[in-house]
Amino acid sequence: MLKVSVVSPEATLYQGDATSVVAPAFDGEVGILPSHAPMITVLGHGILRVNGDTPARFTVSGGFVQVVDDVVRVVTEKATAV
Amino acid sequence: MAKGRELVGRIKTTENTRKITRTMEMVATSKLKRSSDRVAAARPYAQALGDVISSLFNAELAERFPLLRQPVVERRAAVLLVTANRGLCGGFNANLIKEARLTLAYLEEKGVQVDLHVVGRKGIGYFRYVGRDLASTRTDIGDVPTAADASALVDGLMADFIAGTIDAVYVVHSKFNSVLSIPPHTDRVLPVAAPTRAGAGRDYLLYPSADAILTELLPSYVRNAVYRALVETAAAEQAARRTAMKSATDNAGEMLNLLRRTYNRARQANITQEIAEIVGGAAALQG
Repeated sequence: MLKVSVVSPEATLYQGDATSVVAPAFDGEVGILPSHAPMITVLGHGILRVNGDTPARFTVSGGFVQVVDDVVRVVTEKATAV
Repeated sequence: MAKGRELVGRIKTTENTRKITRTMEMVATSKLKRSSDRVAAARPYAQALGDVISSLFNAELAERFPLLRQPVVERRAAVLLVTANRGLCGGFNANLIKEARLTLAYLEEKGVQVDLHVVGRKGIGYFRYVGRDLASTRTDIGDVPTAADASALVDGLMADFIAGTIDAVYVVHSKFNSVLSIPPHTDRVLPVAAPTRAGAGRDYLLYPSADAILTELLPSYVRNAVYRALVETAAAEQAARRTAMKSATDNAGEMLNLLRRTYNRARQANITQEIAEIVGGAAALQG
């Protein structure tokens, strides 16, 4: 399981467990599954999908994703739940 | 009983004042709750940003980023003062203005030319009054500052800093440590003092590269510093107002007690005097 949090300057939009995350990276979508290597990547514009028991979708623009030890942090200035 | 009537008037006005200050106290309390929640909500983002920047940052990269440029001499700096739009919050605005004046005096003594940018009517009013030129003013940031407000304030300054027309940006704001601790504070947001933390030595896969990630993140970091300043000042304003209105309510209560006591004493003295007069009059008639 992944521990996912989606944070913007104003609020934490999502916090919970997920089986996978698909994020809109600067050069295309990046899928993140458990046991992913530690990674930091810049985000572009697009839809962020969190899959699992409580699936969620957000439109994000800019920011980054940090993955380390099955903890995924999506940090973006502009994010809205879809 | 002329004095009595005058006292009744004063008792009424004091009661009305107490009603108003008590209401303002309650309004400030509920606003304070929401603003301090926003301060707490801003923390994870700042934390995440700081973590990543500190794990990517090293001295050799620093020289390549204009936002990290450390000017040898400061020739021109910008000071951004954040104050409230409204008063009736004790020494809150006065403390911020004092802090700003100290910062300005300190910089100007070093021979730095300072542009002053002010947010909030109270700060603008003061610096207009003392006849200082203001580089920019804003009064439309209310109780709920947004990240967009912060970027509108600082994006221009960041561009000036990158272009080299200003060498530093300071933000004078109020910290929000707790409801009772809201000291004014000056932060230097530019050049960026990169956060350094121990144990940041994870080997990350970096896409596209450390350079590109920092290019994206450093402006966010600066904007976030300004956003936090706005949010904390908004919360501190409500905390200051609550404290001020609470003591105003308490003082009005004390004054009411005193006035009521004086009134009752006067009333009693009056009655005693009337009885004495009647008794005296009756005794005179019988005699």
